[in-house]
Amino acid sequence: MTKEEATEKARHDLANRLGIEPSEVTEQSVTDADFPDMALGAAPAGEMSGQMITRGWKIQLKAGGQSYEYRADKTQLRLYKFKGKNYKV
Amino acid sequence: MNRNNFLPHVALALVLILVAAFAGQLRRWQMQWKHHVRIMPAEEKHRGPINNIESAPYETKIPSAPEVMVKFKQGVSEEAVERITQGLNDRVEDEIESVPGLDAIDDLDDASPESVADEYRKLPEVEYAEAVFEISVDDTPVTPRDPRFTDQWALLNEGARGGLKGADISATHAWEVTTGSDKVVVAVLDSGVDYNHSDLANNIWVRPNNINPYDDRQLGTIQDVQGYNAVDNNADPMDDNGHGTHCAGIIGAEGGNDIGIAGVNWKVQIMPLKFMNAGGYGTTKAAVEAINYVIDRKKAGVNVRVISASWGSTQKSRALEDVIRKAYESGILFVAASGNASTNNDRRPHYPSSYNIPNVISVAALDRNDQLASFSNYGVKSVAIAAPGVDILSTWLGDDYEEKSGTSMATPVVAGVAALIAAKNPNITVDDLRTKLLASVDPLNSLKGKVTTGGRINAAKAVGAH
Repeated sequence: MTKEEATEKARHDLANRLGIEPSEVTEQSVTDADFPDMALGAAPAGEMSGQMITRGWKIQLKAGGQSYEYRADKTQLRLYKFKGKNYKV
Repeated sequence: MNRNNFLPHVALALVLILVAAFAGQLRRWQMQWKHHVRIMPAEEKHRGPINNIESAPYETKIPSAPEVMVKFKQGVSEEAVERITQGLNDRVEDEIESVPGLDAIDDLDDASPESVADEYRKLPEVEYAEAVFEISVDDTPVTPRDPRFTDQWALLNEGARGGLKGADISATHAWEVTTGSDKVVVAVLDSGVDYNHSDLANNIWVRPNNINPYDDRQLGTIQDVQGYNAVDNNADPMDDNGHGTHCAGIIGAEGGNDIGIAGVNWKVQIMPLKFMNAGGYGTTKAAVEAINYVIDRKKAGVNVRVISASWGSTQKSRALEDVIRKAYESGILFVAASGNASTNNDRRPHYPSSYNIPNVISVAALDRNDQLASFSNYGVKSVAIAAPGVDILSTWLGDDYEEKSGTSMATPVVAGVAALIAAKNPNITVDDLRTKLLASVDPLNSLKGKVTTGGRINAAKAVGAH
């Protein structure tokens, strides 16, 4: 998965969760980031992950006046603290 | 007797008595001198005449050491031994009770040990005699010829790339004592291991023929050859992520094979276990299943001494805790990553490293300057020890090598040192193994108040090289 593919996938996922059109989701920023573990610092309940610093992208999106954070690397996309919980997409 | 001769005879007798008394005293003085040991500067260390004793520059009253070990033949009585040694002006300093007939013998003539041994070898009552010689550890550091060893600062830090010379685990000194053993099995509980990697293949555990395949009442019979895959419940723990292969290389990439790197152990048996998927994450259920497998193999006779666990989360699992406790009861050490959130585990625990079980050792990460890594969790109560964990070169998928950072990388360093200890002390208990590890640190100012031991693991200390 490339950075662009991850961003597009995140936009559609957020739209789906919020019940809006993808065009209503705007991209605030997409930056390279080092995450603390292989769950990109966004492990959902019951998940254990390798404790290795993992390079990926932090994707900040905006919809309905609120900001949302996705985290991605070449193999995975995660939604960080959405209503207090982490999700694997 | 003529009365006129009486007085001269008495006088003569008195003189003879005085001479005899003086001679006796001389003999005692001589014996005392012989039981002094002269300690001379190295350049003066030669055998000098006994009457030079007063000019000895340094002198101390300690018993002289025995010169020879003599084994008398079976049936030679203690009285006969005493007669022989006295006849040669020697004495039995100690009988070696565990080997009947073996005595440590001290020569009172101050002759050379070899010449004394020669005297005994000629006697028909003697089976063998040998000069006592000093045994010392060769203090020449052992450097492997693996071509990328120079990039392994965790094992030998010579100050490259802005590092601090000596900020390493003293592996080259530890290797003077042991480079590991293929009798010791370390379970790498991870994303699997690339068991075909050319720097790992010779150190991968293979189930011996006399150990039955893994049989679980619910999961069925798994024809495990070289580990277990708890993600797919099959016998193939091949790594499809790289993380487990990296950890395995730190513990036991084959050393001295002219390929890539050297592990903390040049020789060891790595048992690959896969419970994390290609993304590098997995469930507590899969982790529990994999640990259950290790315990089963241990009970079946596999010498698993250590589980290396470079993973975790902040979520507590009673099931995981229970199975790790069972591993303890089976004599298996559990070395775990403290976590990479830069937080204090005393306040915000990280599991499994924060479980209060006697076999768990929580490991923090250090950089090449002996500083706590910026990402590393810590905790003076809950994190036991630190080890190198930044820019660590190790094996990777595709017969490759990569540098990675994390408490994931520090954990197998400590697990590897545990395996070295087990190689040197095959019968050590899990409690003693843990105690030995935690006593084998170099204290660092940067770790004061951060980890329980306040220090970085030192492999040389762990195996008694220093």
